[in-house]
Amino acid sequence: MASAGSGDEKAAAAAMITLISSDNEKFEVTEATATLSQTIRHMIEDGCTDGGVPLPNVTSKILARVIEYCKKHATAAAGEEGSSSSFSDAAFLEVDRAFLEELEEFDDAFLEVDRATLFDLILAANYLDIKGLLNLTCQKVADSVKGKTPEQIREMYNIVNDLTPEEEAEIRRETQWAFE
Amino acid sequence: MPRSRSAMRAPHLPEDILLQVFAGLEVPDLIRSGSVCTSWRAAYGTLLRLGRHKQQQTPCLLYTSKSSGERAAGLYSLADKHAYELPLPLPDDPPIRSRHLIGAAHGWLVTADERPELRLLNPVTGDQIALPPVTTMEQLTPIRGDDGAVREYRYRSRNLDWVDDDDGEDDDRTWTWIIGPRKMRNSFFRKAFLSSDPATGNFIVVLIQGPASQLSYARGGDDRWTLVPSSHYWNFEDCIFKDEELVYAVTKSGRVLAFDFSGASVKYSVVMEKVARDYITPWKMYVVEAPCGDLLLVLKDKHFHDLDFRSRKFRVEAEDVSEPGLYALEDDEDFSDPELDPLPARSFSYVFQVYRVDLAAQEFVEVKSLGKDVLFLGHNQSLCLSSQEHPQLKANHVYFTDDCEHMASRHKRRSRKMGVYDLGDDSTKVIVSPRVWSNWPAPLWITLNQRRMNSALPNAFAWV
Repeated sequence: MASAGSGDEKAAAAAMITLISSDNEKFEVTEATATLSQTIRHMIEDGCTDGGVPLPNVTSKILARVIEYCKKHATAAAGEEGSSSSFSDAAFLEVDRAFLEELEEFDDAFLEVDRATLFDLILAANYLDIKGLLNLTCQKVADSVKGKTPEQIREMYNIVNDLTPEEEAEIRRETQWAFE
Repeated sequence: MPRSRSAMRAPHLPEDILLQVFAGLEVPDLIRSGSVCTSWRAAYGTLLRLGRHKQQQTPCLLYTSKSSGERAAGLYSLADKHAYELPLPLPDDPPIRSRHLIGAAHGWLVTADERPELRLLNPVTGDQIALPPVTTMEQLTPIRGDDGAVREYRYRSRNLDWVDDDDGEDDDRTWTWIIGPRKMRNSFFRKAFLSSDPATGNFIVVLIQGPASQLSYARGGDDRWTLVPSSHYWNFEDCIFKDEELVYAVTKSGRVLAFDFSGASVKYSVVMEKVARDYITPWKMYVVEAPCGDLLLVLKDKHFHDLDFRSRKFRVEAEDVSEPGLYALEDDEDFSDPELDPLPARSFSYVFQVYRVDLAAQEFVEVKSLGKDVLFLGHNQSLCLSSQEHPQLKANHVYFTDDCEHMASRHKRRSRKMGVYDLGDDSTKVIVSPRVWSNWPAPLWITLNQRRMNSALPNAFAWV
């Protein structure tokens, strides 16, 4: 687990970055993978990644998942650049489409996590500023509340209803129709 | 069984994340999400305040029904396939069920009541905006009774020239009619269009009005209607705001015109010299902008099941209007029970044809398939959405409601012909079964909008 990213044969010569989770686990990843995170990209640009990048807000469990996402999408980004700069004939478009479908399948499978993990992934994507992952996970939450009652949403995400009876009454007075 | 929630993790999403989640939600989902807990409630409030809620909502069918009463509207959401009942108390104003619905755009209805007065109404917020009185339309003169109340209106056509009339004689023919208020409500206002969300106070409303189906407009804050000068072009059928100051309009004969509202006076031009189809007048036409920016012209025809094409053609022409307005000005009909449907309608279905209006090449290009796109047609401002952004909608389909003038004025009791038309195989399916709506006022498509009017706006126009 700690050697995630070391198998990247193409990028063997590329610079490697070490990410350190809150529970002090170290992850070696390529720069291409790491820079999907705007936060890390800025740190690299500022030259402050020597000795590893401490990520005190992200546990090793979540960081491993985030890296998994970034590796897949970094390859996708590289592939896109490659095809657009060379050919755009039908064969290449076909390859692109197959790859995009594969990526979509990856995303769908990636989101098959429990609700707590989903929230943690959102927080990590937000902290690391990974736009694609943030959009993906936020959309997952949006999809999950569709057609649900407030009580069902609370159950789903273990949220305590801390609204006062007065507040609830006010909501119902204004928008009762949406609850029936 | 009581559970110890504190023992479980209760992850807390910061407000900017919640804003992103909420920004993709349909109105009913958003309202429910906004009542989950205090932090979600706060994010909901912020979202609405910043106007970052989902702008392009999936359309809902808005209707009234006897069971819901005079002061409520039904909403059938295509997004969650659920019927909601929206209370509309409007205590000091005519109930929704007494109003003719002549338009819907940006979450607002345009309604005409018995007097007739025109109002904008947002059914979600209950906000209303009064439009200028109809007596300010230059063709209308009120006829008052002894008590000073308006009993009838005298309509005199203005600025009407005959097209294709080169006999050298005086073209300025006029007609005069006397119209009662209720008849005006039922048949005087054909369709209304909005440039933008009226909640901002900054908007233009365009109205197809009168027996000659001319265009009038008013800007937010205006105290009167202004007739759009378009010389011998009248008999308008549909309009679309290309942007906030440019309107494309199509006449019943299929002529496409552009109206520029950016200056002090409205300028118009004929943007297509030819018409999409001249051998048979379509039953209805719509102009609509596709998501890619293309201008589309949609032709709706009646296909009678008991007639072959030749007689169908005859039939459609026979029902077409040869002189403006006469058909719409029959005796007023009592509709004390719009639920009744005693008249057996002849069996027919609607068929649709779509053309892309290529302004540069001056061509109408028939569109065999809309691809991922979906059309919403009827009394609403014509809408073309992408099923990619609205996955609950059926691609290459036309969602249509009944906007037939005869039905609105003379045949209120007849059931409405509406459905979901497949452009691929010309079949039509029901929107929802069983039917839940009354036949009058006719149901129409609306996209919900929670934005409230800014009460801090100067009182430039009459708040209702």
